[in-house]
Amino acid sequence: MADTTFTNATQILEPFKGVKKVTIEEYFTSGHRTCQGCESALVMKLMVKAAGPRTIVLGSTGCMYVANTTYYTTPWVVPWMHTQLGSSGSAALGTAAGLKALMKKGKMKSEPINVIAFCGDGGGADMGLGAISATLTHKEYNSLILLYDNESYANTDIQLSGSTPYGANTTFSPPGSVKRIIHTRWKKNTAGMLAAGHPECRYVATVDASYAVEMMNKVRKALTIGGPTFIHSLDPCPKGWDYDPMLSHELGELAVETGVFPLYEVEDGVVRHYGKTKAIVEGRPRKPVREYLLKQGRFAHFTEEDLDYFQSKVDEMWDKWEIPGVIPFWKERPGN
Amino acid sequence: MAHFTCEVVYRGIFQKNLAARICRGIVLSARKAGRWGIAFGRYGDSPQRNGIPAKDFAIVADTQEELEQNMARYEPKEVDVTICVDDTLSKGVESWAWYGLQPINRLTISGGTLLMTSLQSPAQLLKDIHKKDVPYNLALIRAKASFSGLWVYKEDHTEARILGALARIQPEFLSLDAVCQAIKEAEWGSDLKVASARKAHERLETQPIKITEGNAEIPYSFEMPKWWEMREGVTIPAIPIGKPMEGGKGYVPERNPYFKKFTTRTMRPVIDFDKCVKCTLCWIQCPDSCFDVTPDGLYDANMEACCGCGVCEAVCPAKDCVTMVREDAFEDNASQWEMWRTDKATYKTWMTDKIHSKEHITRSHGFRFRGQYEEEIKKELESGGIEITAGIPGENAESKK
Amino acid sequence: MAVETKPAGAVANHKEMLISGSEACAEALTLADLDVVTAYPIRPYDTVMQAIAKKIANGHLEAEYIVAEGEHSQFEIVKHASTVGARVFCGSSGVGWMYAMECLTVTPPLRVPMVCMVGNRALDDPGAFGVEHNDALVVRDLGWMLIWVDTAQEMLDTTLLAYRIAEDRRVFLPCAISADGAFLTHSQSICQVPSRALVDRFLPRYDRGDLQLHPDNPITVAPQANEDWVIEIRRQNDEAMKRASSVIEEAYADFRKVMGRGPENPWFEEYMTDDAEIILIGMGTISLPMKVGIRNMRAQGKKVGLVRPRWFRPFPTERMVKALSKASAIGVIDRDYSFGSPFNSGVVANEIRAAMYNADKRPPLLSFICGLGGREVTLEDVAKAADMCFAAAKAGKSDPKTHWLGVRE
Repeated sequence: MADTTFTNATQILEPFKGVKKVTIEEYFTSGHRTCQGCESALVMKLMVKAAGPRTIVLGSTGCMYVANTTYYTTPWVVPWMHTQLGSSGSAALGTAAGLKALMKKGKMKSEPINVIAFCGDGGGADMGLGAISATLTHKEYNSLILLYDNESYANTDIQLSGSTPYGANTTFSPPGSVKRIIHTRWKKNTAGMLAAGHPECRYVATVDASYAVEMMNKVRKALTIGGPTFIHSLDPCPKGWDYDPMLSHELGELAVETGVFPLYEVEDGVVRHYGKTKAIVEGRPRKPVREYLLKQGRFAHFTEEDLDYFQSKVDEMWDKWEIPGVIPFWKERPGN
Repeated sequence: MAHFTCEVVYRGIFQKNLAARICRGIVLSARKAGRWGIAFGRYGDSPQRNGIPAKDFAIVADTQEELEQNMARYEPKEVDVTICVDDTLSKGVESWAWYGLQPINRLTISGGTLLMTSLQSPAQLLKDIHKKDVPYNLALIRAKASFSGLWVYKEDHTEARILGALARIQPEFLSLDAVCQAIKEAEWGSDLKVASARKAHERLETQPIKITEGNAEIPYSFEMPKWWEMREGVTIPAIPIGKPMEGGKGYVPERNPYFKKFTTRTMRPVIDFDKCVKCTLCWIQCPDSCFDVTPDGLYDANMEACCGCGVCEAVCPAKDCVTMVREDAFEDNASQWEMWRTDKATYKTWMTDKIHSKEHITRSHGFRFRGQYEEEIKKELESGGIEITAGIPGENAESKK
Repeated sequence: MAVETKPAGAVANHKEMLISGSEACAEALTLADLDVVTAYPIRPYDTVMQAIAKKIANGHLEAEYIVAEGEHSQFEIVKHASTVGARVFCGSSGVGWMYAMECLTVTPPLRVPMVCMVGNRALDDPGAFGVEHNDALVVRDLGWMLIWVDTAQEMLDTTLLAYRIAEDRRVFLPCAISADGAFLTHSQSICQVPSRALVDRFLPRYDRGDLQLHPDNPITVAPQANEDWVIEIRRQNDEAMKRASSVIEEAYADFRKVMGRGPENPWFEEYMTDDAEIILIGMGTISLPMKVGIRNMRAQGKKVGLVRPRWFRPFPTERMVKALSKASAIGVIDRDYSFGSPFNSGVVANEIRAAMYNADKRPPLLSFICGLGGREVTLEDVAKAADMCFAAAKAGKSDPKTHWLGVRE
C-alpha cells in the first residue's frame, strides 16, 4: 500500500562548497540544437545539476523548448514537459498541486519532488506575468519558477520584449536612416517587482551563469526553502546580442561588473547583494557600461548620446534607489 | 535545361544575411534576362542557431509553369549548383535531430557543381567531401569563409563573388552582365562589388570530380518510426543517466543519440593535458556538456557533442592549455585524452602541429568590437580579400544619423 | 440548496436528492474522489465551483482547490496536474472558455483526460449569459469529446461516465460536458445519487501508465516537431477518437449493470420516433419545450418525434443516419450559429446534413436557428418548425434556406 505519510517537505539541498564539490552527473545532456555559446542552455544544465534526479521540469515555449527538442528529440535526463508560452506559473502550480493531492491521499508514494518551471523573458515577464504572480501567492505548494532572460523573444528570431534593453537592435526595432532608436522603453525590473509584490513568497533571487556555483546554490536554496520561489537569470545570447560565442562568459561577468545586472537575493524579506554586486554596493567602482555594450552588435548603432543615457540610468539604480539595484524607490527627487 | 535550381549551404546566423543576398541576387540577375524565379529559406532551419548548418534556395525558370513545378516544397530534391560558403561544411550537414549526417554534395545532380569558398586545396577538401555515386564538378573561389552576425554585416563582397562565379558555371541562365547589373542595383550593391564579381568570374577554378574521389565514410542516418510505433501523447523516452568512465571513476554523460554536433563546428578545442590545472571551469561552463571527465580528473572534449563555441578557451585560466583550432585541420573525431594517455610524446607532436601549423588559420565567428570587420577585411587582402571603402553600414553610427 | 428526501420505491443503493445540475456534478465529483480542481468566476458554470467548494469545506471531498487568476491559467493548472496522475475537473462558460483556448487546443494531443463542465453561454459581445452552444462547439475539430445533457440526473451520470471513458487508456482524450446555462445549471430537480460503493465498482483509478510525468518514468513530453512528425501524431489522435466509440458503448453497458439504470442508447435520446413522420433534432434543454410541443401535436394527430443528440464528438454517424432515415422530413433546431457556412445553417444542421449525404434514404432536411442568448424556445416555435417540415415532406424536397425562429422582425 502507498505510503501516506505526507509532510509537504522539500528536499534538503545543501549549497555546493566550491566547484569541485559540484554534482558530476548531467541531467540536461548534450545534443541540443542551441546556438554555439548559448548561456541559456548552460543555465538549464546548471539548474538541473543543482536540482538532482528527483525533479520534474516544465518548459514554456521559447528557445529552451524549441532549440532543445528540434525535432522530436530531447536532451533531458529528468522528466520534462512542454507548457504554453504564458503558462510557466500555471505549470508549476498544477504539477505541484497534482503531486500534493496524490501524496496526501495515499495514491502516490510520498517524497519531496522538485518542481521547476522555466520561462523566457517574453513568456515570463510579459505574457505569463499574471500566472507567475498567482503561483507566488500559493505558499502551500513548493515550486521554483526560473526566468531565463536573453532580453528578447529569441526563438522567433529576436523580437523586443519588456525585458529588452533601451535601444537594442531587434527585428521589431531595427535602426533605420530615419528612426535610429525605435525601442525607447527601459527594461522591466522583474525580480524586484515580484519580491515586492508577494510578501509570502520566501525566496526571489537574480543569478548569472558566469558565476556558476553561486547560481546553482541559489537554485538549491530556492528548492529547499519551501513554497513558491522565483529566480531571474541573465543570459547573454550570441545570436540576439550579436557577438562571438566565446565571449558569452565574459559578457555575463561584465553585465554584473558594470552594474547593469545586479546579483541579489530576497530571503524571507531580507535583501542581500552578493558576488561582485556586493563589492559595488560596498564602494567598488563599476566598470563603464560602454565596455559591456560595445562588445555587442545589437548596440553597434549607439551614439555617444545613447551610451551616456544608458550610463545615467544605470547610475540612478546605484546612486539613487533606496535599495540599490533592487527597487526603484527614491528617497527624494532633485528639485522637490 | 528549362530551370536552374541552386542551394546555399551555410552556417546559421553567421551567414544568414549572406545566403539571403546570394539567393535574391540569383533571382534578380535571372530577371534581367527575362526569367522568373523564387528565393526562399528552408522552413525547418528557422529559427536559425549560431553555427548550425542551414540552407537557402533559389529557383529560376524560363516560364511560370516550370517555376511552379518547383515551388510549395520545403526543399528541392536535387540542385544544379550547391554553393557552400563555409568549407568546414565539406564534412557534411546535420541540421536537426533525426536528420543524420548528409554529405555536402547530396543534392547536387550528376554533372552539377559544388561551388565553395575555400583556401584549402581540392585534395584537402576531398578528404572530407563524401564520395558521390555520380560525377560532379568542384569550383573554388579562393577566400576565407565570410562570417558576420545578425545585426552587423561584414561587407567583404562574398555575395558578389559568388554571383560572378555562378555566371561562369551557368552562363545560359546567368550572364555576367546580368549579374553585374543586378549587383549594381541591389541596395547592398556598388561599383566595387561589380568589379569583385568580374574578378571572381575570371579566377574561378573548376575541376571534375570522379565517383572514386572523396571521403569513403558511410554517413549515418535514422529511420523514422510509423505512427503506431510512436508512443502516444507526443511522448518520447528521456536520455538515460550517464556512467563513470573507467573503474568507477570519471564520468561520461549519455548523450542524445539522434543529434550530433560534428557538423556544427568550425573550430575545435585542442587540449594540452600537461598544462591542465583541473580547475573544472571548461567542464562546468560548457553549455553543451561536451567534456567527459576522465578517471584522473582531466577533461576530454567529446567531439560528438562539441559545437566549437570557444567558451572553454575563453574561461581556461591556464596559459595555452586550450586552443581553438579550425575544424578542417582534423581528419577524425578521436578522443584527445585517449591519444595522450596512449602516447604522450606522439600526442604532443600532433597537438603542436595542429596549433601551430600553417594550415591553421585563426578563425573567429562573429562580432567582438565595433570596427572589427573593417580590420579583418584589411588583413584578408593578402589571402584573396577585397578593398573596402570607409565605414561599414551597421557598425558605423555616424552613417546612421 | 440541496434537500435530501426519504423516498419510497427509489433505486437500490441510491439516495434521492433535490439538486441543480451544478450540484449534481459536484455530487459526482465527490463520489469520483476528484484530486485537483481549479475555479474562476464566470456565469453560469461557476455554480459548480461553488458547490465543490462547499463539499471540500464540509469535509465530503478532499481535493486541491485553486482559484486561478484567469481561465487560461485555470485550465493550464489542471492540465499539468493531470499529467502527474491526478484526476482533475475544470469548467467555464462563453468567453471564459475562449480565454482558455490555447490550453483547450493542446490537451487532446497531449492526451490529457480532463473532464470539464461548459455552462453554455452566449459569447461576448454582447455579454449576455443566456444559453448558446457555440462556446463548447468551438473545440469540435480539435479532439475533445463533447456531450450535451439536459437534466441534473443526466449531468450526474455523465460526469461519472466521462471519467470512465476519458481516462480509459484506449482513449485518453479530454471531455467537455455541456449544460445549458440557467435552465440546467440553476434549476433543481430530484436526482438519484449512487453510493460510493457503486461508483467504486464502476470507476477505476486514473492510471497514466507510461505517460505519467514522474521521476520514476523519465520521459520528455511534447518536444517540438516539424513536418516529419505532425501528421503521425494527428493520426494517433484520429485513432483514439475512433476507439472512443466502442469505449463509450462499453462504459454505458457497465453503468447499467452496476447502477441498475441508465439509457440503452448512449448516443442520443429518441422520443416518439418509432412511427414519426417528422423528426426534430435539438441538443440540451431545448428538448423540454420540444417534447411538450410534440405531445401537443400528437394530440392533433401529427406524428412528430425528437432525436436529442447526447454525444456530439465522437459523432454517432451510422446510428444517427439509421434513426433519421425512417422520417419523411427532418428539422434541426440549432441553438448556435455558423455564419457563412453552407446555407448559413447552424453547426448541428451542417453536421447532420453531412452525415446524411451518403445515406440510401435522404429525407428533406430543414435547418432552424432559435433560442440564442437564452431566449426561450416556445411551443409556437416548435410547432412552426414542425409544420414547415410537414410541408417539405409533402413536397418531397428541402427548402435550403435556414430559418431564424422567434426573431423580432
